[in-house]
Amino acid sequence: MSDPATTRASSSQAFSSQASSSQAASSQAASSQAASSQASALLWRPRGAWEGATKPGRHGAPDGAAGVRLTLRDGFGLATLIAADGKDADLQAILAERFGLSLPEAGAAQIEGERGLIWSAPGQWLALAPSPHVLRDLPEALRGVAAVTDQSDSRALVRISGPQARAMLAKGVAVDLHPRAFGPGRAAVTSIAHIGVQLWQRDAGPTYEIAVARSFAGSFWGWLEHAAAEFGYEVEPGRV
Amino acid sequence: MTTLALQRAEAPVSATSADQPFRTATGGLIDRNRPRDFSFDGRRLTGYHGDTLASALLANGVRLVGRSFKYHRPRGILSAGSEEPNALVELRSGARREPNTRATMAELYEGLEATSQNRWPSLALDALSVNALLSPIFAAGFYYKTFMWPAGLWEKLYEPMIRRAAGLGRAADAPDPDTYDHAHAHCDVLVIGGGPAGLAAALAAGRSGARVILVDEDFATGGRLLAERREIGGVSGAEWAARAVAELESLPEVRILTRTTLFGVYDHGAYGAVERVSDHLAVPAPHAPRQRLWRIVARRAVLAAGAIERPHVFGGNDRPGVMLAGAVRTYLNRYGVLPGRRLAVFTSSDDGWRTAADAIAAGGGLAAVIDTRTSVPPHLRRMAEAAGARVVTGGYVAGAKGHLGLSAIQVVDGYHSTETIACDGLAMANGWNPVVHLDSHLSRRPVWDEAIHAFVPGALPSGMQAAGAAAGRFTLAECLETGARAGAEAATACGFEASAEAVPQTDPESVAHTPLWRAPKPRGKAFVDFQNDVAASDVELAHREGFRAVELLKRYTTLGMATDQGKTSNLAGLSIMAELTGKDIPSVGTTVFRPPFTPVAIGAFAGHHRGKEFRATRHVPSHAWAEENGCVFVETGLWLRPAYFPKAGETDWLDTVVREVETVRTKVGICDVTTLGKIDIQGRDALAFIERVCANPFGTLPVGKARYAVLLREDGFVMDDGTVARLAETHYVMTASTANAARVMQHLEFCRQWLWPELDVQLASISEQWAQYAVAGPRARDTLRRIVDPGFDISNQAFPFLAAAEITVGGGIPARLFRISFSGELAYELAVPAAYGDAAWRALMQAGLPYGITAYGSEALSVMRIEKGHAAGAEINGQTTARDLGLGGMLAKKKDYIGRLMKERPALTDPDRPILAGFRPVDPSDRLRAGAHFLALDAEPSLEADEGVMTSVAYSPSLRSWIGIGLIRRGTERHGERVRAYDPVRGADIEVEICSPVFVDPKEEKLRV
Amino acid sequence: MRIRCPHCGERDNGEFSYLGDAAPRRPDGMEASAQAMHDYVYLRDNPAGTLRELWYHAAGCRSWLVVTRDTRTHAIEAVEPARDVARARSSGEAA
Repeated sequence: MSDPATTRASSSQAFSSQASSSQAASSQAASSQAASSQASALLWRPRGAWEGATKPGRHGAPDGAAGVRLTLRDGFGLATLIAADGKDADLQAILAERFGLSLPEAGAAQIEGERGLIWSAPGQWLALAPSPHVLRDLPEALRGVAAVTDQSDSRALVRISGPQARAMLAKGVAVDLHPRAFGPGRAAVTSIAHIGVQLWQRDAGPTYEIAVARSFAGSFWGWLEHAAAEFGYEVEPGRV
Repeated sequence: MTTLALQRAEAPVSATSADQPFRTATGGLIDRNRPRDFSFDGRRLTGYHGDTLASALLANGVRLVGRSFKYHRPRGILSAGSEEPNALVELRSGARREPNTRATMAELYEGLEATSQNRWPSLALDALSVNALLSPIFAAGFYYKTFMWPAGLWEKLYEPMIRRAAGLGRAADAPDPDTYDHAHAHCDVLVIGGGPAGLAAALAAGRSGARVILVDEDFATGGRLLAERREIGGVSGAEWAARAVAELESLPEVRILTRTTLFGVYDHGAYGAVERVSDHLAVPAPHAPRQRLWRIVARRAVLAAGAIERPHVFGGNDRPGVMLAGAVRTYLNRYGVLPGRRLAVFTSSDDGWRTAADAIAAGGGLAAVIDTRTSVPPHLRRMAEAAGARVVTGGYVAGAKGHLGLSAIQVVDGYHSTETIACDGLAMANGWNPVVHLDSHLSRRPVWDEAIHAFVPGALPSGMQAAGAAAGRFTLAECLETGARAGAEAATACGFEASAEAVPQTDPESVAHTPLWRAPKPRGKAFVDFQNDVAASDVELAHREGFRAVELLKRYTTLGMATDQGKTSNLAGLSIMAELTGKDIPSVGTTVFRPPFTPVAIGAFAGHHRGKEFRATRHVPSHAWAEENGCVFVETGLWLRPAYFPKAGETDWLDTVVREVETVRTKVGICDVTTLGKIDIQGRDALAFIERVCANPFGTLPVGKARYAVLLREDGFVMDDGTVARLAETHYVMTASTANAARVMQHLEFCRQWLWPELDVQLASISEQWAQYAVAGPRARDTLRRIVDPGFDISNQAFPFLAAAEITVGGGIPARLFRISFSGELAYELAVPAAYGDAAWRALMQAGLPYGITAYGSEALSVMRIEKGHAAGAEINGQTTARDLGLGGMLAKKKDYIGRLMKERPALTDPDRPILAGFRPVDPSDRLRAGAHFLALDAEPSLEADEGVMTSVAYSPSLRSWIGIGLIRRGTERHGERVRAYDPVRGADIEVEICSPVFVDPKEEKLRV
Repeated sequence: MRIRCPHCGERDNGEFSYLGDAAPRRPDGMEASAQAMHDYVYLRDNPAGTLRELWYHAAGCRSWLVVTRDTRTHAIEAVEPARDVARARSSGEAA
């Protein structure tokens, strides 16, 4: 595996680039960073937001298949985009032209594979990418149009699926997730167990993703374990 | 449920009479093939699956179940539902012991343990029943009249004595081992109650495709259909209910929540309910919760919660064996239990005669029927007399005999002559009260319906309809019809095509009745409220003493209080007060009903939030390292912050903190300050925005520089302080204190969205994105140099005090470096992306090793800021101005900003206001305490003499003594003067000298090297 | 109570925090008088009936909202983004 520190620092791939090309770029970058010693590379290991809080494997009620599957996300890129006054249309145009993504309206998310835009607040979106460096060009591309703030390390991200995913989420999410009220491409900013979350649905499986502030990851995981226990759940680490 | 319902038809005989002497040979919805052993007060007994504890006790001939609250009178089972005031027991044992459990609601399970309450030494021989002899002093208002003098005895003697004598159950001594859950549910139509009206409503709504939730507090759905011998469309009521449940279960958008009590109705279609997921099991299944609290949001609701029968008020109406007539039918028909072998019925309606008929049908003996009405349908009289029963019309029951259980009743006939009739059970039929509690939760009042002599729902909450008995429609045909109609209307209102189908055939019935509010001449104490031991005489006393308004009556007599909230007693109390005041019942009015409908365990409200999950905990990026290194943490809001890092051999926290401070002051230390709020401010008008929210000027702040910032509230007091750094032309980062981070963000959003929407500014919280560490001490730069990437010059010249820059560390990791200092030393704050927080901390510790680096926590941080006289939370307490804190000089004069005008109010500019100063004990060995008040040396302690307060203290390793900062009148002018730090709470009175609040490096030479 | 956030949809009132009457306007600028500022900070009507009030969707989109609510019944008539209300008010004054 390449050193993510150097990956992050030196690659300049666009928002639309594929994970495979970024991998190649990062190994180039790693060799060009000859200055950084072996020891310091070891020392500067990034720590995943879920590290220390989660245990991979099968937990909770042991009978039958796990009702809930929790996939820990790591290594993704995240940025807040806030449109400058009156620049929503410009922002829309640039994102569409350069990155092929359209701005979702309030309460919606546009997800394609591991990339996406998720509505956060009026004039505000969360850009999601398979790795942080994919978002590096955004501030420059959107200069004068939107404020871009890197949030790649600010959230812990978990993907939730399985036949009991919705029943489990109902224990903490006050928003109606019934297919008549919510569905793929829908997003909500709300709270679970008094912890602020951003939540979006990827597919009709249903598969959801939840982003929670990094400092709350341990407590949020405590809630997840409590809520999922009666259904039986499987935790799998997942670097996208 | 289906299997239960079908059980009645099969009617197998397996019980021997020795086993359960009061169990009928056949019948009931219990499963006679599944016996259940249980114990009551240690006695081993057997019942059946499908029993409640109450029905199983009655089947075993146990009538005496508890002792009453005040008088310790023997009490039995009054009802068969959640309204039960008497049969409260302790269920289970050890950590799962649960007091005040209604035996009528507790499902029987194998191994159930129940214990009677409020008796000593035993239920049959209760020493405290002597209270009954003292009943004159326990009358209404006894708390207020007795035990009042001498006052000192209240806490020491009276209160403990009353608590022992008049307690109910005992809570468990150990933590509850079970878990409790929360869940949210949304639906189109919420149906409250699973009786005939509720089932009909759910069917009508469910068939339309609407999302329906039906909640029922019983474990078997059907309500009174399970308790009556009635037919619907040619099948038994129980069978009809089973078929309805089966159909509802087949509809994908219908959810039935059994064992679930809807306890509260809230604004805009929000409801609270508690599901007893595992209460019917000895121990919850692994990973299953014991109870689940539901928050339901419904567009429409159908209230079909039924009705509660009214007791008669006569002498000894609380004797074990005296029951509600409907409950008697429940025990006979649903549970196959005879509540008595010689049953008497006391009725003021045709309903009571149904009980007589059911008792005969079940093979029980009927001793008598006493009807308050003079005219009774002849066929009913014939039925009773054919069974050998005495029939009295136009009379009433005046008294009941039998110490531990009913043995006879004293009946007064229409000619005022009294006779005594032997019986071991008495069924009271005095009409029914619709359950108006839930529809009254939003401060609505029920209205009186003279036709049925009962309160019925008045103006219902928006979106709610009532149906069936809850609406005062008592016949089965009306229940089915109004239920179906309400269900269809509710679904239609939600946009579904629904219709109420034709109601199936039911046999005709009469619900006519003429209530007798109380026996005219009772023999003995006639109880109104069984649970609170409030008798008719107590209501009379309250009337005599002027407590006539209904809310006063309740508080004075305790009528309608406690766990049952007067479900069986309220109307009786009102009717007596009406009679005494010469008013009618609606003029007396009702008290306000509030949630919860029945008691809800605190555990259910807490849910997952107990123990370490009581509230969320936030961890700093260096948490893992801190834990590995034996750190002692402190809770700061939700954060768990490192407080200090003890090393081997350090036995006292002060040793550790002193070492940490000395190391920072002479070498270098690092401290995790990630908990500070960090706000990214961008946009064309970013500077204008900052100028308006900060009280000091920023127009001159160049790119690459940071500045201290003070924010005022609009009323002129200080809100918070922090720093603002300018990273680019239109890009700033503001920090806020840990405690105020969220508040400051909310305030800035208020300013951006509401006050100045014309400003083009974008705010984003970056608190979680960046790990931020203070690196402080003379060797701070040397330490940092070893991790900052080559190419970034951090020399004093290139990166002077208050410089700010975006750099990289560790071979390309983006970082931000600010040369700011809270400790007063050469110091930096280094921010790295949070994922590298752990790595950066470890790298700094390694980089600083040659210089003797230490990690320091919030304690050392606090000591050093006190040594420097920096105001923090104790000083920025919402009551101090910038001037009070010595910050007056830095405020801008030429711009408008939040708080500008109001800080100039006369009282806030009074030169006599307490102002920040430092304090040193005159005797260096004295310890200072925060919270001490300042007095002149010769002053008597008084509010007038109070000159201010010590806000923060620390042991200063630099000065080798305790030091403090605080607010004292004209503090800046009085350096060198001596005053007392007077602390009566901790018995301290210390002479201190006022000094500058800056104890260390007042010329700030260390900052700039 | 349930409040229909114009951005997030209907949410429980636990997601919101309350500020109060939306009528008072801050007297901006160096020429504002102390008296006007005093009134803005402290003077509030407390009507039994319809009130336009400021709420903050703290646990949601962090929007400030103007909620028109009957203080007697809690019936909510309208919920508008405060920024839109403030802008409309400013442009109304300019016109």
